[in-house]
Amino acid sequence: MPGIVIDGRELEAEGGQTVMQVALAHDIPIPAFCWHPALSIAGNCRVCMVEVEGRGLALACNLPIYDGLKVHTDTEAVRNQRKLTLQFLTLNHPVDCGICDKAGECLLQDYHYAHNGSPSTSIDPKVHATKHYSLGSRIVLDNERCILCSRCVRFTREVSGSNVLGIKHRGDTSLVRPAEGRSLDDDPYSDNVIDICPVGALLSRAFLHQSRVWYLTTTPSVCPGCARGCTIDVWHRKPEWRLQAVATHRNHTIARVTPHENPAVNGPWICNKGRDLAALVERPRALEPMVKGEVVAMDQALEAARQAIAGAQRPLALVSSWGSNEELDAFKEHLAPRFSCAVKEDHRQQPNEPGDDHLLLRADKNPNTTRARALFGETPAAVPEGTDLVLVWGEGFDFDTIPDGVATIVLGAFDAPENGLAAVFVPLSIHTERAGHFTNFEGVVSAFAPCFPPPATVADAETVFPQLAPQGATS
Amino acid sequence: MTGTKVLMNFEVTDTSHTLDAYLERGGYQTLEKVLKSMKPEDVTQAIVDSGIQGRGGAAFPAGRKWQGINPYDGQPHFLVANADEGEPGTFKDRWVLEHSPHTLLESMAIGAYSLAARHNFIYIRGEYDRPWRRLAAAVEEAYAAGYLGEGILGTDFATDIFVFRGAGSYVCGEASSLLGSIEGTRAYPRNRPPRMTVSGLFQSPTVVNNVETLSTISWIVNHGAEAFRATGSDASPGTRLLSVSGHVRRPGVYEVELGYPWGRLLHQDCGGIPGDRPIKAVIPGGISTPVVPAALAGIRTPDDLDGVLLDHDAVREAGSSMGSGGMIVIAEGTCMVRLLHIMLRFYHQESCGQCTPCREGTGWMHRIVERIVAGDGRPEDIERLYTISRANDGTTICGMGDAAGFATMGILDHFRDEFTYYIEHKRSRFEGNIECPGS
Repeated sequence: MPGIVIDGRELEAEGGQTVMQVALAHDIPIPAFCWHPALSIAGNCRVCMVEVEGRGLALACNLPIYDGLKVHTDTEAVRNQRKLTLQFLTLNHPVDCGICDKAGECLLQDYHYAHNGSPSTSIDPKVHATKHYSLGSRIVLDNERCILCSRCVRFTREVSGSNVLGIKHRGDTSLVRPAEGRSLDDDPYSDNVIDICPVGALLSRAFLHQSRVWYLTTTPSVCPGCARGCTIDVWHRKPEWRLQAVATHRNHTIARVTPHENPAVNGPWICNKGRDLAALVERPRALEPMVKGEVVAMDQALEAARQAIAGAQRPLALVSSWGSNEELDAFKEHLAPRFSCAVKEDHRQQPNEPGDDHLLLRADKNPNTTRARALFGETPAAVPEGTDLVLVWGEGFDFDTIPDGVATIVLGAFDAPENGLAAVFVPLSIHTERAGHFTNFEGVVSAFAPCFPPPATVADAETVFPQLAPQGATS
Repeated sequence: MTGTKVLMNFEVTDTSHTLDAYLERGGYQTLEKVLKSMKPEDVTQAIVDSGIQGRGGAAFPAGRKWQGINPYDGQPHFLVANADEGEPGTFKDRWVLEHSPHTLLESMAIGAYSLAARHNFIYIRGEYDRPWRRLAAAVEEAYAAGYLGEGILGTDFATDIFVFRGAGSYVCGEASSLLGSIEGTRAYPRNRPPRMTVSGLFQSPTVVNNVETLSTISWIVNHGAEAFRATGSDASPGTRLLSVSGHVRRPGVYEVELGYPWGRLLHQDCGGIPGDRPIKAVIPGGISTPVVPAALAGIRTPDDLDGVLLDHDAVREAGSSMGSGGMIVIAEGTCMVRLLHIMLRFYHQESCGQCTPCREGTGWMHRIVERIVAGDGRPEDIERLYTISRANDGTTICGMGDAAGFATMGILDHFRDEFTYYIEHKRSRFEGNIECPGS
C-alpha cells in the first residue's frame, strides 16, 4: 500500500488512485471544474494544481500516487496559480450571477470567493458568444457562461452513450454544440448535464428563472417512475420562505428533482423522467371521500367500505405496485386473508418510452413490483367469474373488465371517472406526502420522506387498511 | 560551408528524390544490413549511443524515447513520423520530404524493425502539396521494390507505412494531439501521464519522432554511433537542418554540424542582411523560442563571424533554444511591438481551446497587444503581459501555452523600451516596420 503525504498528513491510499481521489476520500478540499468522479479525467481546467515536493506544480486529478509522494495543497505557488486560473476563467465569463440560475450552487462562484476574490485585471472587452442556444426541448445553453470543462461532452459519450455533444471551433471561440442533426432530446439522461455543469451554462427550461436555489430545500426521496427506484432529492420551497400572496401553489409543489448519489442504485445520475416527477404525481387530485358518488366524511366512507368487505362472498383485491413496503405489509396483514389478491401494474411503458437500457431505465414503470409480487404472488390482475366485490388500490386498471353489477371499492389519489361510480371511494395521499420504502428490481430498499403535508381530507393507505379489516378478523 | 552532411549529402536534381537516385546513393543497404545482421535492441542501442536529441523542438534524447518500448512485449506498437511542421519559420522537414523521401522511409523501416511496429504513420501537414506528392510516390516505389510490405528483402519482416494528411492545425504538430488527429478524434493534446510510449496511438505504445530525427537514423545505423558522435559538439552530437528565413539575402535550409558559429551561418552562408544592415535579433528555433538580441549573441554586424555556437546548450545559455531549427532573422529597424502582435495573433488563432490558461491567455495577450498597436496602450499593460505569460508557464497540457508565454516574455525582456515608447507616444519607434528597411 503506497504511503502518501498530503499537507503533512500521512494518508492511506490504494494503488492506482490519483491525488485527487485520495484527497477527496480524506476531505481535503482541492478545487476542480473539469474533474468529476464518474467521468474520465480531462485535466483541462487546470484549477486543481497542487505542489509536489521536488517537482513543482502538478495536476491533482491526473497524478497517480506513488510511494513517498508528498503533496501540498495550500502553498504560495498553489494559491497564486489558482488565483490566476480563476482570473482566466472569469476573463470572458459574464459575471451575471444576479440573473443566473446557477448562482448559489455555482462552482465558479464558490472558487472565486475561496481562491481569488479580486476583480478582473482585464480592461479589454469580453469575448461574446451565443446566449441562448437550444439543445432541445429541455435544455438551453449559454455559451458565454461556459468554461469549456467538457463535463457535458464526456457525459454524453461515457455515461449516457448518446454522443450528442461535442466541441466546435477552437481557442476562446470554442463552443459546446450538438452533433449535426442531433439534440439532447435524443438522450433520456440529458438533464444530468445541467447538474454536472459547474457553471450556469446548461440551463433547465423547466427550472429557468423559477426560483433562487437558496429559497429551496431538499427532501430525500425515491423516484417512483420505474423499477430502478433511483434515490432523488426533491427540491421545494423552504418553510421560512413561504410565498404569502402570489403563486402560493409553489409552497407545496416540486420545484425540481436532482439525483441523490447512491452507488447501490443509480450512482450520481437519474433519467429525465425522474426530473419530471411533478408530471407524474402532481396531477388533478381526488380529495373527497365518496359513497356512490356522494361526498361523505372519511369515517363514513371507511365504515361503508368495511361493511361491503365484510358482506362480500368472493371479494377480489387489486394491489398497487406503487404501494410502499409498509403499505403492502399493512394490506397483507389486515386485508389479504379476506381477499383473493392480485398485483396490478399501475403504470405501463408508453409506446414512445424507452424500456430496459444500459444505464438506469427499466421497462417496468412501477417502483415496488418486487415487494408486491413477493407478498401477493404472480396472479394476473383480472376479475374471475363469481367475484362480487373488487377493491382497486391505485391506478392503471381497466374498469370495463369488471362485470356489470359487481361493486367496487376504489382507493386512489387522482381524479378519475371511476371514483364517482364506485360503491366507496377513499382518497389517498400522493408520493410526496407520505413516507415509506420501495424495494427495487434488484431487491435494494430505499426510503422516501414526505415533502409536503397531505390535504386534510385524504388518508395514508397504511392507516386506511387496518380500518377496513372486518372487526376482529385479524387480531 | 564545411562539415559533415548527414542529410544534405547529395546534389539536388530533378530526379534526386526518386528510388533509382536513392539506390545509386547506397539507399536501403542499411535496412538490409539491419534486417539480416542486427537485433532490434542493437538498433535502439545505436540510437542511444549516438546521443541524438529530437529535432522537433523539445530536444528529448531520441534513444531514451525508443527505450520506452519493449519490442518483445507482444503488444501492437506504432512508429509515427511527425511531418506536420507547423512551427512558424520552420521548413526543414519539407526539404527532406521533397528531396530525400526514401531516407525517411528507410529510417522508418529500420525503426519499425527496432520497435516491432507493424504499422507506421507519416503525419504530413495538409498544406504540403509537393512534399506529399513526392512522399506518396516514394511510398509507392518502396512497396513496388519490396522495401515495405510483407517479406521485406527476403526476410520475414513486415511493416507498412501510411501517409496521413493533416488538415492544417498548428496544435496537430504536438505529438499527442497528432495521434488524436490520426485516430479521428478532436486533435486535443493529451495529459501525461501516461506517456505515449505507454499509451499512445489507439492506446498502444507509440513513438512519435520528428522527420529530421527519424531520417538521421539510417545514417547513424550505417556509419555507427561513434561516427555520429564525432560530428557536432560533445553535448549535442550530429548535424541540424536549419531553415533560415526573415531578413537575410539567401533564406533556405542549411545543414550545419551542431556547434557551428552562428555569425558565420548568417553573415557568410546566408549572405548577410540586405543593405548590409546590422541584425537586431534572431528567433533561433521557431517562434516558440524566445528571441535572442543579436548583440547578446555576438552576431550583430557582418564582422561578427563567430558569436554564440549553434548547439543546444550554448543557445540555451543565451536564453533561448534551438527549438525546431526555424531561424527567423530580424534586421535593425524592425518594430518588435508589431512583431509580437503578429506572433500573438497566431497563437490566439491556433490555441486549441482545451485548457484554460492557453485558451484565455493567448486571446488576452493578443487583445492587449492589439490595443497597444492601435495606440490605446496603458503603462500597466506590460506587467499584465508578463503576468499572463508566467501564468501559462508549465501550467498547460501541451507546450503551446508555454510557448506563447516564452515568445512574449522574450520580446518584452529585451525590447521593453519599444513597448514603453509605443504606449507613451501612441506610435511605433520604427514606424511599425516589419519589412526589411532599405532592402
